[in-house]
Amino acid sequence: MVNLSFGAKEKMDKRIWAVGGGKGGTGKSFVAASLGLHLASLDREVVLVDADLGAPNLHTLLGVKASHPDLGDFLTNAIPSLEEAAVATPYRGLRIVKGSENILFIANLNHYKKLRFLRQLRQLKTQNVILDLGTGSSFNTLDFFLSANPGVVVVTPEPTAIENSYLFLKSCIMRVLKLYMDHYKIRDLHQKMLEQIEKNSQSLYGFFKSLMESDRSYGTILYRALRGFRPCLVMNKARDERDVLLGRSVADVARKYLLIDMKYLGAVPYDDDVHASLRGLRPFYLEHRDSAAARAIRQMSEELAYSIEFTLRTPPEIRLPDA
Amino acid sequence: MLKKIEDWNYYELLSIERTASQDEVWEAYQAALATYRDGSLAVYGLVTEAERGLILERIQEAFQTLRDPQKRKDYDLALLRHSPYVPPKAPFRKSVGKVEIEAIPPKKTLWARVRRIFSRRNSEA
Repeated sequence: MVNLSFGAKEKMDKRIWAVGGGKGGTGKSFVAASLGLHLASLDREVVLVDADLGAPNLHTLLGVKASHPDLGDFLTNAIPSLEEAAVATPYRGLRIVKGSENILFIANLNHYKKLRFLRQLRQLKTQNVILDLGTGSSFNTLDFFLSANPGVVVVTPEPTAIENSYLFLKSCIMRVLKLYMDHYKIRDLHQKMLEQIEKNSQSLYGFFKSLMESDRSYGTILYRALRGFRPCLVMNKARDERDVLLGRSVADVARKYLLIDMKYLGAVPYDDDVHASLRGLRPFYLEHRDSAAARAIRQMSEELAYSIEFTLRTPPEIRLPDA
Repeated sequence: MLKKIEDWNYYELLSIERTASQDEVWEAYQAALATYRDGSLAVYGLVTEAERGLILERIQEAFQTLRDPQKRKDYDLALLRHSPYVPPKAPFRKSVGKVEIEAIPPKKTLWARVRRIFSRRNSEA
């Protein structure tokens, strides 16, 4: 069972942000790297962790070559702790846990290794940890996303990206509910949830409605667990005002139809120089500090830094569900 | 509160507080129109056409009511009778998986006070 909650002390001392989302190519690594570089430029200690187990390349965005030790060395016990895998970068205050080159072996992490990784993540000697997650909705990716506080979903203004983001959020919701069902030993509800959730957009409501009628106490527990999941949203590669507003709309639809308290952090404008920086193996954020995209990243970082307040805030309408 | 979309009141539908000004109502209406308009990407893959049409109708209905001060007053009164307004709560934490007791001061019961007096006397002695 993955512990989804952080103790009060851990929460105040350490910020663990995870950047994820369903679709590839939305700019998850770009956002993660830029957030890390921004925090480091404010003289903060930051560790970027490339937790994309299938296709790691965060180091390339920072202009750093792949080398050992990396995440694979930690997961295969070649090094005793994750702290040793966090190596220095050319940027002051910023360290990186590079993704493993041995992806065939690492991509399918077993439960024990996953728990060890999550535990050591909280023990890293730094105040800020940023996880760059991979594409898709594997249990590992979902658990990494859910253990962060908060998780950030990166989406682009394209139907494919939005569709996959909703799928990713649905998977997160099902994972949260399943973990609580396992914890409270109500596993028979899981199959019922899977059947119900496939029906239509209001299926989650239908699931809770029928659960409230059959067992109000479990319904209350699961509904509260769901309301405790509060991801953030970033609209990347926004080309105009409509794209910026689209992000707000997506967060609103997720709040209404997926019953989650989602916060819209804002949009990162599309910038051709991102591609040029990537080709030159130079971090965009440092090369174009005055660009609109870099300004947006700074603003998001501030929003996220105050996300503890957001996490502690009771989400609106958290009163107990009606039977 | 867990409600079916058809059961949301106009304020929940437009995601605004019941104390929202006319300008805020207008802005929320425009945002809701953009979210649920025909061909909107925001509902792609999650909301069916029929549901989108239904919610759009309700958004129009909500705006027509809330833009008119008299209609809004009548609606608010009806709403208050049905469900009293509870302003947003102060920050506090609820946890389910792991019960967290965060800096909760011990209760000052009579027995605790008596015990404190005795322990103080013992330490003085």
